[in-house]
Amino acid sequence: MANSMAPSSKQISAAQLSAIKLCCHRGDNQLFNDISFEVSAGQCLHVTGPNGCGKTSLLRILCGLNQAEGGQVLWQGKAISGNHAFFSSCAYVAHKEGLKNELTAIENLRYYQQLDARRDEVVLDRLLSKMGLLSCADLLAQNLSFGQRRRLSFARLLIANFSLWILDEPFTGIDNSGRELIETLCVEHLEAGGSIIMTHHQSLNDSPLNRYRNELALSKA
Amino acid sequence: MKNTLALYFQREWQLMFRNTSSMIQPLVFFIIIALLFPFSLPAEGALLQKIGGGVIWVSAVLATMLSLESMFHSDYQDGTLEQMLIHPRSLPLAMLGKALAHWTSTGLVLTLFSPILCITFNIPNEQIWVLFSGLLLGTPSLSLIGAIGAALTVTLRRGGVLIAIVILPLYIPILIFGAGMLSQSSQGLEVASQLYALAAILMLSLTLTPFAIAGALRVTIN
Amino acid sequence: MNPLTIIWNFLSNTYHRLGSPREFYTISLYTTPVFGFLFLVLSLFGTYFGLFVAPADYQQGDSFRILFVHVPVAWMSLFVYVVMATAGAIGLIWRMKMAFVVTICSAPIGAAFTALALLTGSIWGKPIWGTYWVWDARLTSELILLFLYFGIMAVYYAFEERKTAEKATALLSVVGVVIVPIIHYSVEWWSSLHQGPTVFAEGGPKMPPEMLLPLAFMAIGFMFFYGYALFLSMQARVLDNERKSRWVKEIVSGKTN
Repeated sequence: MANSMAPSSKQISAAQLSAIKLCCHRGDNQLFNDISFEVSAGQCLHVTGPNGCGKTSLLRILCGLNQAEGGQVLWQGKAISGNHAFFSSCAYVAHKEGLKNELTAIENLRYYQQLDARRDEVVLDRLLSKMGLLSCADLLAQNLSFGQRRRLSFARLLIANFSLWILDEPFTGIDNSGRELIETLCVEHLEAGGSIIMTHHQSLNDSPLNRYRNELALSKA
Repeated sequence: MKNTLALYFQREWQLMFRNTSSMIQPLVFFIIIALLFPFSLPAEGALLQKIGGGVIWVSAVLATMLSLESMFHSDYQDGTLEQMLIHPRSLPLAMLGKALAHWTSTGLVLTLFSPILCITFNIPNEQIWVLFSGLLLGTPSLSLIGAIGAALTVTLRRGGVLIAIVILPLYIPILIFGAGMLSQSSQGLEVASQLYALAAILMLSLTLTPFAIAGALRVTIN
Repeated sequence: MNPLTIIWNFLSNTYHRLGSPREFYTISLYTTPVFGFLFLVLSLFGTYFGLFVAPADYQQGDSFRILFVHVPVAWMSLFVYVVMATAGAIGLIWRMKMAFVVTICSAPIGAAFTALALLTGSIWGKPIWGTYWVWDARLTSELILLFLYFGIMAVYYAFEERKTAEKATALLSVVGVVIVPIIHYSVEWWSSLHQGPTVFAEGGPKMPPEMLLPLAFMAIGFMFFYGYALFLSMQARVLDNERKSRWVKEIVSGKTN
């Protein structure tokens, strides 16, 4: 288990997110039981395990979309359910990108900006160019390639100051330069004192994320 | 930062204008249903005039119901609904914005078009106004109550029939007061009490249904 | 100790014990037969008094005697709905597993009561009104209630995941209970517009005690029948829900071996 502490000076000892004795069922089957862990600032929790072991379910519980059968999730010591501070600081990127096909790339992003921050076209342009999407800013999302859509959904992470990123298989369907870009974004985020929880089916040993990484291995029940 | 209700309302409008067929379909359906009745009834002008208001109301209810299934469907498919659920902004307010936008694309359009249908049914002019005001007050409640059914069935593959079973009984009071106004006014009676009843139902719907819609989404999306 | 405290402790103790499927199952094994027995005794008394002791109505003769089934069943159709929605609300607010079971098991029973009320009503209507069905306010409300029950059952069976189905059903029953009074009021207004038959609408005949007594017997009897049917169906559902747990396996293997 590759386990290293982030060297960031901003790191605080208190855990940002703590999961206590989580347990989750699907139908009659138990996916996992009694899982506890903590994620502190500057840390990246890498959730691994075979297909169907409940990685996505765990992430959905952590971001408050699903309810655990047992146990609880705390954000800075407080339960996340109904916790305004948690939902303002957590961003979730999943398989479903959260993009509207009928809107252009920049309109999609503008919507998320209006939800979380002041409308600011300069920031939007900067974000799009950072993600390499400036040339397709005015294309409808339905005309973007899969990789471009992924990049666009990652741009959402940078729209406001989210300190916790929850990423479900972030490197799926994305090319090498895209992967490097996302890894760079993640490292910058961790260096700035943010935290990441991600699932990824491959090893992260060669990734720059490795030195921030804590592994949580789920096994098939 | 922008008000949640306005933000969602505006966004729904933007999406509707990109996809105008979603606006036109309920209207066409509404007209076709209403026009089926003259073909299935004895060809008597007096009879059509008598039942015209009821027919238009039933058509409006059916057209609204038909459009409900797609209300949350694309939001669910593309993941924007999940993002809405984990956002700190008030989900009930967002849902209110969404349901009101839905009304503007269905109920409001139908209401604006209803006078033309009234003319084909030979409904007298003063009653056209009665029907119009009834539809104007009643159809927003149809969208709001219907959204509960749409939210409950959003994850189901064949939710359409289920929405009808769940929602149509709940539409009965609106139908009774709305269509009742016409028979009332055709006898030369006052219709204010039914208008008040429709307004009361609308007030209740505006205040309570957003919470039910939000609750239903939280229950079904997992 | 303060008697109020004792009562409170007893109630909260019962609540918590009934909240656990296993405890419920154990308790219900004893209470269900009691409910069944009380239903049998009360309804036998009620039937006897209703059919043989109560005098014939001076207008309707003997045909009114269906009232002793019709009225309690119609009451129960609403009572079950209220219980169902209350349990649904408890389940949603306090996340109590067993409350959902009450909601789901009540729906078919309530629907059956409602259907029976409609059936006995129309049988009664034939000699009195001359027709099986009139668009009378109470009949129409009852019919809509039946469809509300159907909707609630349909929602439960539409979901594959049981927990989602339970919560969705509970939510719909709570929504329904808000709308039921509005439906009732609107239908009443509507039927007054339609001038339905008013044989009974004007207060009806004053009821002598010989009629009131069997009616009360039957009403309380049907209440126990509801408890009996509810607990039986809850037992089955609890065993099914908890089929993976050890205590259920023990019970099942103990019975089959």
